[in-house]
Amino acid sequence: MPISLEHVSFTYMKGTPFEKTALHDVNLQIEKGEFVAVIGHTGSGKSTLVQHLSGLLHPQKGSVCVDGVNLNAKNAAAKKARNSVGMVFQYPEHQIFAETVYEDIAFGPRNKGLTPEGTDRAVKDAMAFAGLDFETFAQRSPFRLSGGQMRRVAIAGVVAMEPDYLILDEPSAGLDPRARDEIFKEIMALYRKRGIAVILVTHNMEEAARYATRLLVVSDGRIILDGVPHEIFTNHKEELLKVSMDVPPVYKLAECLQEHGLNVKSTPELADLERQILKVRRSRHAD
Amino acid sequence: MQSLIEIKNLKHSYIDTDGNEIHALNGVSLDIYKGEFIAVIGANGSGKSTLARHLNALLLPTEGKCVVAGMDTADDKNLWNIRQHVGMVFQNPDNQIVAAIVEEDVAFGPENIGVPPAEIRTRVDNALAAVGMTEYAKHAPHLLSGGQKQRVAIAGVLALEPDCIVLDEPTAMLDPRGRIEIVNTVKKLNREKNITVVYITHYMEEAMQADRIIAMEHGVIKMHGRPEEIFTKVKELHALGLETPLAAQAAFDLRQKGIKLADGIISNEELTEELCR
Repeated sequence: MPISLEHVSFTYMKGTPFEKTALHDVNLQIEKGEFVAVIGHTGSGKSTLVQHLSGLLHPQKGSVCVDGVNLNAKNAAAKKARNSVGMVFQYPEHQIFAETVYEDIAFGPRNKGLTPEGTDRAVKDAMAFAGLDFETFAQRSPFRLSGGQMRRVAIAGVVAMEPDYLILDEPSAGLDPRARDEIFKEIMALYRKRGIAVILVTHNMEEAARYATRLLVVSDGRIILDGVPHEIFTNHKEELLKVSMDVPPVYKLAECLQEHGLNVKSTPELADLERQILKVRRSRHAD
Repeated sequence: MQSLIEIKNLKHSYIDTDGNEIHALNGVSLDIYKGEFIAVIGANGSGKSTLARHLNALLLPTEGKCVVAGMDTADDKNLWNIRQHVGMVFQNPDNQIVAAIVEEDVAFGPENIGVPPAEIRTRVDNALAAVGMTEYAKHAPHLLSGGQKQRVAIAGVLALEPDCIVLDEPTAMLDPRGRIEIVNTVKKLNREKNITVVYITHYMEEAMQADRIIAMEHGVIKMHGRPEEIFTKVKELHALGLETPLAAQAAFDLRQKGIKLADGIISNEELTEELCR
């Protein structure tokens, strides 16, 4: 069952001189099992979009449904539906609040009504999942951790809720390359194991190319491109540049080689591009 | 070349709230020369930002020395003078913009240090022109894009007419165009106005633009050299938890597979040229 937006519009500061329409009649369906990357320039409306997916903002026009239940209704089914959507914000330190890592992660499961034993299990599972050793971290203050560790606590707190839809708003901003890889390893493991939908907001084209099964490009409150990342990065470069986006480095390298007459195809994988280069070199030497 | 900033055996440690002594900098020695563009890379927690904050006396050495334009940062009476020599730009533009109109924001610094009004006007106009934001002078900063806001923040520092600008991950929150805008702006200020740049980043493609690169780990400098020297040491970089620009990685991999390539390849153009020869 999908999460679906129908004819959703949203305007900030309506009726004031600062009125700004952030979403224009957006229609979108995301199925479980999809890994959707959302890209768009600052102010494009992508954050407004994902806040609608998680029920944090209510559409002024249209509706948002999760598994057929309207997120903005005021009943038990709507509450359950909202609980099925987890969101990790860009600044994990903003969503961390408790005195210990354990208490922070336990907040969601407890609120959901889990028993103390159930909560304990959920916390342990989530911590193991996020690569946080229980003995080392459970009783530590989350505020004294490194940026990468804080992010893991925030992810663990959301994972402990066992969401069917996981929204991540630039989870790797400001992290070094190794920490970036580690965070994504965890996200991919969760995605594969639980068959959930992941919705990733990112400014990093490489992440979109490497992990996503589907790419949404948002500009001026509209979804202007929706498709397979490889297809969009290969065939829609001009449109991407026009809306302040770009293609990933590996596509740029392939393009540079093509412009100089080397017969290689664009690919999201550097290893694949290298194989093609080797092949071209060999055939050239064979001539 | 004349050094603008001299750092000698700089150590910085503090006691954290659990009572442990943390050594953020463990003996860093570095000369930063006038007019150079230096990039600092390193994993989270390697000491990059701590080092940067010593350059304009936001932090003071526990041991060792940091001397800016001949002034010791540990001496109180140099403080304001040092901060006019070295300006800082941080990661999040929203945290460093103070006014409701772009040009007023840029004027904030010079007003604070008592620059005469007529000169403030000139400085603000020049600073906005230097970052390509003249046409937005009367705009509200919160309605600008991330890259534009960050350029306003840079203009705010420029209006103090510093010799050196230190930028701590200025593109971490920006979209691809915003990142290009910032890198190009910084390069232009360095080349055309001879402003010394210290640029901290996790993006190797940005670090590649510098004259010199410093790679840090555990509070010390582990690697130090020109981009083509640093980025061809693929294994050492990986050991520090860092990456290389894509073309350098490809050159490394292809060499391992037996393709002969010239040394020092770090850009797409260099790699393409080698492969097409």
